[in-house]
Amino acid sequence: MFGSFLKKSQIKSPWLMHFDCGSCNGCDIETLACLTPVYDVERFGIINVGNPRHADVLVVTGTVNRRNAVILKNIYDQMPTPKLVIAIGACGCSGGVFREAPNVLGGVDKVIPVDVYVPGCPAKPEAIMDAVVTGLAKLGKILEVA
Amino acid sequence: MTEAYIGLLVLWPLVAGLACLVLRGPTARSALVLATGVALAAGGLALASQAPFTANPGFMASATAIHIAQAAAFLLPAFFLFKGLQEKHLLVIVFALAQLALAATGEFYLPAAAAAQNAVVVDGLSLALMLVVCFAGSLICFFALPYMKHHEEHLKLPVSRQPGFFLVMLAFLGLMNGLALSNDMRLFAMFYESTTLCSFLLIGHDRTAEAKQSAMRALWMNSLGGVLLHGGIILIQKQYGLADIQAIVTPTLWAGASLLPLALIAAAGCVKAAQMPFQGWLLGAMVAPTPVSALLHSSTMVKVGVFVALRLAPVLQGTTTGKVLCLVGAFTFFATSAMAMGQSNAKKILAYSTMANLGLIIACAGIGTPVAIAAGIVLLVIHAATKGLLFLCVGDMEQAIGSRDLEDLRGMISKTPTTALAATAGAMAMILPPLGMLVGKWAALEAAAASPVAMVFMALGSALGVVCWVRFAGTLMGGKSVGVQPAHTSVLSTGPILAMLAGAVGLGMAAPWLNALLLPAELANPFAGGWGLMPPMFVLAMVAWIIGMKALSRQGNATLAAPYIGGLPSNEAGSYVGPLGRNWILSEGNPYAPEIFGESQWTKIAGALGALLLLALLGGAII
Amino acid sequence: MNLNTFYLAVAGLILAPLLGGLVAGLDRVVTARLQSRMGPPLMQPFFDVGKLMSKVIPPASHWQGMFVRWALIASLASDALLAAGGDVLMCFFVQAASACFVAMGAFSGNSPYSKIGAQRELFQMLAYEPVFLVAILCMAKAAGGFDAFSMMSGSEPLLFKLPLIVPGLLFVVLVKLRKSPFDISASHHMHQEVVRGIYTDYAGRDFALLEIAHWADVTVVLWICSFLWATGPLQMLATALITLFVALVIDNISARLTWRTMLKTVAPISLILAAANLVWLYLE
Repeated sequence: MFGSFLKKSQIKSPWLMHFDCGSCNGCDIETLACLTPVYDVERFGIINVGNPRHADVLVVTGTVNRRNAVILKNIYDQMPTPKLVIAIGACGCSGGVFREAPNVLGGVDKVIPVDVYVPGCPAKPEAIMDAVVTGLAKLGKILEVA
Repeated sequence: MTEAYIGLLVLWPLVAGLACLVLRGPTARSALVLATGVALAAGGLALASQAPFTANPGFMASATAIHIAQAAAFLLPAFFLFKGLQEKHLLVIVFALAQLALAATGEFYLPAAAAAQNAVVVDGLSLALMLVVCFAGSLICFFALPYMKHHEEHLKLPVSRQPGFFLVMLAFLGLMNGLALSNDMRLFAMFYESTTLCSFLLIGHDRTAEAKQSAMRALWMNSLGGVLLHGGIILIQKQYGLADIQAIVTPTLWAGASLLPLALIAAAGCVKAAQMPFQGWLLGAMVAPTPVSALLHSSTMVKVGVFVALRLAPVLQGTTTGKVLCLVGAFTFFATSAMAMGQSNAKKILAYSTMANLGLIIACAGIGTPVAIAAGIVLLVIHAATKGLLFLCVGDMEQAIGSRDLEDLRGMISKTPTTALAATAGAMAMILPPLGMLVGKWAALEAAAASPVAMVFMALGSALGVVCWVRFAGTLMGGKSVGVQPAHTSVLSTGPILAMLAGAVGLGMAAPWLNALLLPAELANPFAGGWGLMPPMFVLAMVAWIIGMKALSRQGNATLAAPYIGGLPSNEAGSYVGPLGRNWILSEGNPYAPEIFGESQWTKIAGALGALLLLALLGGAII
Repeated sequence: MNLNTFYLAVAGLILAPLLGGLVAGLDRVVTARLQSRMGPPLMQPFFDVGKLMSKVIPPASHWQGMFVRWALIASLASDALLAAGGDVLMCFFVQAASACFVAMGAFSGNSPYSKIGAQRELFQMLAYEPVFLVAILCMAKAAGGFDAFSMMSGSEPLLFKLPLIVPGLLFVVLVKLRKSPFDISASHHMHQEVVRGIYTDYAGRDFALLEIAHWADVTVVLWICSFLWATGPLQMLATALITLFVALVIDNISARLTWRTMLKTVAPISLILAAANLVWLYLE
């Protein structure tokens, strides 16, 4: 019983770490909008944390460039396992309009494995919340929780 | 048989010290010091097994002994006067002259006091001080052997001055034993003055300008203490013709009488225990080699002060003098704890914390109930072990890295692991339940129920102390993990440290039983009142220890996570790769909040308030 | 110590952290409602701890696991002490020991944020400990004994004798609950200058245990507050809930202070009030 409670709590308590990887701030505003009373992601037990050591889900907005790739990797490495990564917005998914810029590596998945992609420029808060729920379902499948 | 043991405790250290002076070789010296330590420990235990008892050993009871004491009452101040004239130190001259005048008054103008009924009376209090001297004092002398060798190598002296140093150190122990055991005021005063002499010699040992200045400061403050003590003794001699300490501290003797003599003696105790505003001499004592400061702080000099106060405590219970004395102690506890907060010099932290704990004991003495006195004695014993441990650790770490600043001691756990861990444990033993210091503080707080102001001071001082010690321990535990174990460690430096650690923790755990031993028979239930909490807490502490050690063994060898520095990468421990790809070294420092806890302003304001309280102590007794 | 005391202590040991968890859940729901949000389910803190329990992460220091467990045991012990009717002053000291262990663990960590948090925690302790201690001394004086039972057995509420310690106790509750304006050492919200302060380096199972220790602490503090109106269990519960609610309202309407303001202004004022109350009790 205790074991199943632990498994269940893994998908009931996703703590997000939001990393702005050089976004234009459009997606960041939409991400933070999820915390407002209109969307209120805390309903799902989601907390926005500032410390990768406490985070379960890494939410990345913006393109990855040569300067910040190492920081993105670092933060990802410092998160406890099991962990989820959600790439938000066109830039996060693929590099968006900056894809061909000389300093840009491309989407988040060039550096770290991504579990859920949220398209849009900017992505809608509903889509972001949906992505978290999808990601948790994926995690639940891995943990074999109904 | 007890006479022989008393002789061993008082005289043998003097003989061994003189032998050190004659046989100048390091081997002979080590053997003598070790033999003295073992003899003191054995003798102390042998006496303790027979306590409580009274005795009349020849060398302390005979007329010759009294004559020697009377002569010392002139000779010691005369020596102080000589030193004062030599150094042109006005205060020393004035106080030495005052002491001489008082001694002359007592000798020539007043009828001689009746001799004490028993020259030696051993009760819980004297036993506590004697055992502290025998064990903590001996361990510190052991530690001094390798320390002084290293110290002199460092100073590059042409001729070793260790024989003289160890003469004074060992003699100090003997004199302290005499002080703890003697029941005649004249002998007591002689021992009291000779500890002043010893501390003067030890503080000035290094002969630097700073050492000389500190020694003179210690001399004038303690001479003032001597004046107060002699004043008290002479008033008693005039009023009652008594020199028997046990007779003097009978409450019925003082019913309706002015307590001025006792207030004077208690004030002398406050000076010796470095209560505000006399904290200066103990701070100055820090310039001396570490064994000296350890000896002065943990087991000898300052303990004389609280010993005197606790001795008088039964008479002070419920009197105005007692209430003011309690306030003096509680105020010092608060003020010196605050000053310790603002310090980064590790030895000064220890010094201020010593004064704070002594203040707590003095406050217990001022309360004067049997419960408070027992709490005071428990604090006295456990403080000796804990503070002795901390001093030895700081001294050892200081020799390892050449600095005594807390900022430089950061991360010592990776440089001298044994010493640093022992120091951490010592710092924790100062503040954690169910160990003795905290338990004593708790008992003192509950005993202080008659004095709300003292309680508030104690509450403030308690919080300040906790913060100061956690920061101390945390600083040793934290920081960069670089550097290697230096090669100088010797069994004689780690041995005493570990023995002190065992003493601090063991005695800390034994506090309820110690407390029960010290209480009168009708109160002597180790688990009466709140003390009943202690056994379950010990069990809990054991469980916590086991669980904690298991966690440590699991994590102790784990690969550590990279430090979180805003996501920036790190090439090596204690740095990060920042702008321009440069490697930036992280540096840390504790906030000492000098604008709140600055030493100079506290010395002024709190010193003035402390002086006011001491004057109130004397004035209250006159009125 | 008789068997009854033992049962009470065990009950305190088990129930107090659970109660603290419920308080934490209530806290989040009420805070959300105050901000016109839905908020998480009441049981959310338990899910959080369960999740943290099953995380795998390397430690930031070799010593943290040890300190966390010591802190947890000290916190639980203070609960058990209180439940068994033990000495409230000793209970306070045991709880302070728990805070010391948390700070020590943070000191031994390797992130600078953790160390800043530890330093701030110490100054926080410096600010609230004397106030709390004097408040307990006041309660003991008014109730006529230091043990929890005599504080809970009064026929009339202590509040009428101790009105001046209320601001002090509220201050302590805010600090202990790590609420604004006193969440100085461990900021609760993301994107603040100390990240998560003293908790930054604790992660995974260690952090979960620390969270349980925090629940136990909260229970103790609210319990001691409830002595103010201890004429019956329901009154005590109501007092604790009212204290909690006031703390939450203050949290939602105030911004963070610096430790200097706390140490120089808030702490002295509440201490002076509490001390005045103590002196007043003696003059009566």
